[in-house]
Amino acid sequence: MSKAFSEISPSEFFYRNRDLAGFTNPTRSLYMTVRELVENSLDACDAERILPDIYISIKALSEGQDPKHYVVSVKDNGPSIAAEYIPKALGKVLYGTKFTLKQARGMFGLGATMAILYGQITTNKPVKIVSAYDSKSYEYTMMLDIQHNRPVILSKNEKVSNNSSGLDIEITLEGDYSKAQQKIKEYVAQTALITPYANITFDDPFNNKIEYKRITDEIPSPPIEVQPHPAGIDVETLRRLINKELTLISFSDVRDKVKKELNARTNQSADTLAELAREKWDRLSRDVKLITSLAVLLSINLDEIDKIRIDKINPNTDEASYITFDERYLTVKLQKIEPFYKYLLSIVEGDTLLSFLVKNFQRVGESTARKFLEYVKFDEDKRIGTLTNDEIVRLTEAMQKYSEFLPPDANCLSPLSAKFLEASMESMFKPEFVEAIQRPASAYSGFPFIVEIGVAYGGEIKEEGIKLYRFANRIPLLYDEGSDISWKVIKEIDWKRYKISFDMPLIIVTHICSTKVPYKTVGKEYIADRPEIEYELKNGLRFLARKLFLHLSKKKHAEMASKRANIYSRYLPLLAQFSKELANASRLPKYEKLIRYGKRYEEEQE
Amino acid sequence: MVRGMKKSKSKDRESTKIRKERVKELLTSLGIKIYNDLDNQIFPELEIPSRSVSNIVYDKRLKQYILGDAIIKRSSSNMRHLRSFTQLVWLAFFVNKLVNEGKTSTLRDIYYSSQAFNMDFEDQPESDHIITDLEALISFAREDFNIYPEERSSIFGDLTIEYTVRGYEGRRLNLADHPDGYLIGPSLSSAEFIETSAEMVLAVEKGGIFTRFVEENVHKKFKALIVDTAGQPPRATRYLLKRLHDELSLDVYILADGDVYGEHIAMVIKSGSANAAHLRELTVSDAKWIGVWASDIQKYKLPTDPMTEADIKRCYELKNDPRYQLDIWQKELDLFIKMKRKSELEAFAKYGLTKITDDYLPEKLKIANSL
Repeated sequence: MSKAFSEISPSEFFYRNRDLAGFTNPTRSLYMTVRELVENSLDACDAERILPDIYISIKALSEGQDPKHYVVSVKDNGPSIAAEYIPKALGKVLYGTKFTLKQARGMFGLGATMAILYGQITTNKPVKIVSAYDSKSYEYTMMLDIQHNRPVILSKNEKVSNNSSGLDIEITLEGDYSKAQQKIKEYVAQTALITPYANITFDDPFNNKIEYKRITDEIPSPPIEVQPHPAGIDVETLRRLINKELTLISFSDVRDKVKKELNARTNQSADTLAELAREKWDRLSRDVKLITSLAVLLSINLDEIDKIRIDKINPNTDEASYITFDERYLTVKLQKIEPFYKYLLSIVEGDTLLSFLVKNFQRVGESTARKFLEYVKFDEDKRIGTLTNDEIVRLTEAMQKYSEFLPPDANCLSPLSAKFLEASMESMFKPEFVEAIQRPASAYSGFPFIVEIGVAYGGEIKEEGIKLYRFANRIPLLYDEGSDISWKVIKEIDWKRYKISFDMPLIIVTHICSTKVPYKTVGKEYIADRPEIEYELKNGLRFLARKLFLHLSKKKHAEMASKRANIYSRYLPLLAQFSKELANASRLPKYEKLIRYGKRYEEEQE
Repeated sequence: MVRGMKKSKSKDRESTKIRKERVKELLTSLGIKIYNDLDNQIFPELEIPSRSVSNIVYDKRLKQYILGDAIIKRSSSNMRHLRSFTQLVWLAFFVNKLVNEGKTSTLRDIYYSSQAFNMDFEDQPESDHIITDLEALISFAREDFNIYPEERSSIFGDLTIEYTVRGYEGRRLNLADHPDGYLIGPSLSSAEFIETSAEMVLAVEKGGIFTRFVEENVHKKFKALIVDTAGQPPRATRYLLKRLHDELSLDVYILADGDVYGEHIAMVIKSGSANAAHLRELTVSDAKWIGVWASDIQKYKLPTDPMTEADIKRCYELKNDPRYQLDIWQKELDLFIKMKRKSELEAFAKYGLTKITDDYLPEKLKIANSL
């Protein structure tokens, strides 16, 4: 039977909607390609705590007018990818290891693949990947089969290599460097600013090399993976968590375990299995207990159970529904044979709500879970398998609303630290004044976040006015600055109170780390207004404004003092000279002592 | 000497020479005071009449704005005063030299000259301000210490003068010898008046009307000296008008545009301006404003323009001004406000180029003298 709707593969979906990922035109796509590859490399190095050495190169394939074909290559010293996973990891959209809840630069591991996809559709050239791994280097050229979401390997070479590890990805794509260069350079510079522990080199189409040297060997402590916070949950996530608890394992995965633990053959009858299992019930593992119980209650042997797929087991009617090997759908009554019946039921119904909450969520202990369940009027012993759809929705909404949960754990975040932000700003801007602050961890809607802010003033910063550098999870945000929450906060602060005016040479850096940065658009370029984030930004900025104010008034004070010393020695001699001429005197008056008096006189007045 | 010729009554005023001597004396004693203080290790101080708005009062008897009793003490010991204090003493030193050498300088010259002496003025307004300070300090107008503004107005008519400026001493000139008139500059301002056949001074606001009056022989027909004030008259011109009035006993009549600004030109000649409240030698308190009045616009059916909002606002401001409390001044302001129209001296040309000299002028002079 043919289906009325044809499914599309994830890569097909992204191919059709590449604008969503920022690959809108040759200018933007060139920038996005660099960005995705660099972020991939940095994430990979961070994960293994390697000090990153990143080499970015963009070379034109021909002379002539933009847009034209460019080769973008980004090479790192990261952990690389084991040879067998390379094609899959880079050639298949949505294949990645980034579905977990911890801070990372990219989100789904599909950025690099998007870049490959874009290169392929604009130039029809394969991507070249060189991965150094275990003192060998593997070179692949491959293309994507967009319709089937799979890589097509064109060639594969294996060589002995001196490089201990690292990945070099080379994509040929249509780009417009003349238009994109400003953003790309800005991106590289800002990435260096927020990654002071990396060496970053950019080799541009005109063979100019821009180098950013690392200024510290310390890598920020890595984020720790954590369970979700109840306030950050949605209906779909909750349903998945419940189903994960309830998932029945497939027999083929545990076939050997069952055979070994029960010392059974696969064609032995259900009754024999029951006997064997009863003998050592308490010593059997969970998987084995479950498979045995199913076989016994459905009266089938292990060979047969391998050929069916359980659809559902309804504890209220004692019925099991399953699909047979030949695609028939059967519903049968379960036999009430103990201890198998009770065991199966407990698995099907799952945990009690109380234990489910404690096991699956961060910052939820028994007493918190109990209080919450009282608040939401659920029986704490209710089995999660018996929750109806409506109940799941009600539970989700209550979790989002309930205000007594402890704030989320911020260990899953990896900020840069005020110390390094400050050092990095110092080294990049060479300002007269610089100070940075990391605000305490906070949370919005169950997602933890940390705000870091730096302010630099004067020195080699010559441009008047506030220049804002925005970062989220250690990536620079370059577009739509005006709509960003940071600008909103800057505008709302009463700078006059700190005697800071908008024509001063000032640089402000904001860095927001979160497991979920609230971007306003898919393009991930600016951050939405969240009152909690706004609060931290505002307080951090006020703190730094105060520091700058103190610095400026101290400086002014010193200037006043030297001006005071100067003013008397500058004007009194003139006064003496003019009065001598006016009075027609033969010598200058003896005014010299007055210069000393003057300084003292003013000091007394202070 | 022709019969009816007037001679200068120079005893009514200090002659130019004597005034210059007074100025030099004051400047020198200022220098001596400061020199002695410095020599005795005392920070010199100066007391200058305050020119702040709150210290400008209207003197009903003098019929002009004058400064009140408030005094500003400027001390060289105060870091915030020392710079302007030095600027002031530099200026005293500099103009003393000017007067001694018989040279003049413009306001702008002063600003640039300072740089040669390592004095720093931020801009010309700052140096202008210090000049006014010196005026207030010694109670002499800047023209008395040879500083003149750039703007010049002119005079024409039968008046013989004798120069006192260096290089021209004793040379005489009749101001009717050149039909374009003579610029009222430093040389003319400081000249002695020898004799004149004129019986009055006609101050007109505009060059065009000035030229017409010369062409139409107004100076002969009315026995008048004609002065072009070129808008609001510069101080040198006001000072000259006062001298003509005081030394030659000439009546002063003012003819300006038929609008609120024209009326105010007449008033400033008569009663002075708030800006020069520290000076008293600039007003001709019995000068007569003969036109163009608001009522003349109606009477002579002159072509008009609508008044702007700024014009009307200015009318209301002047209505509250103490100088304007007399009958006619208020009445004409009220009429301007009511009509919301204004006119210019040139408007008489609608009825022929000589309408203004043939009819209007004699009629208005007659009215003025009958009052």
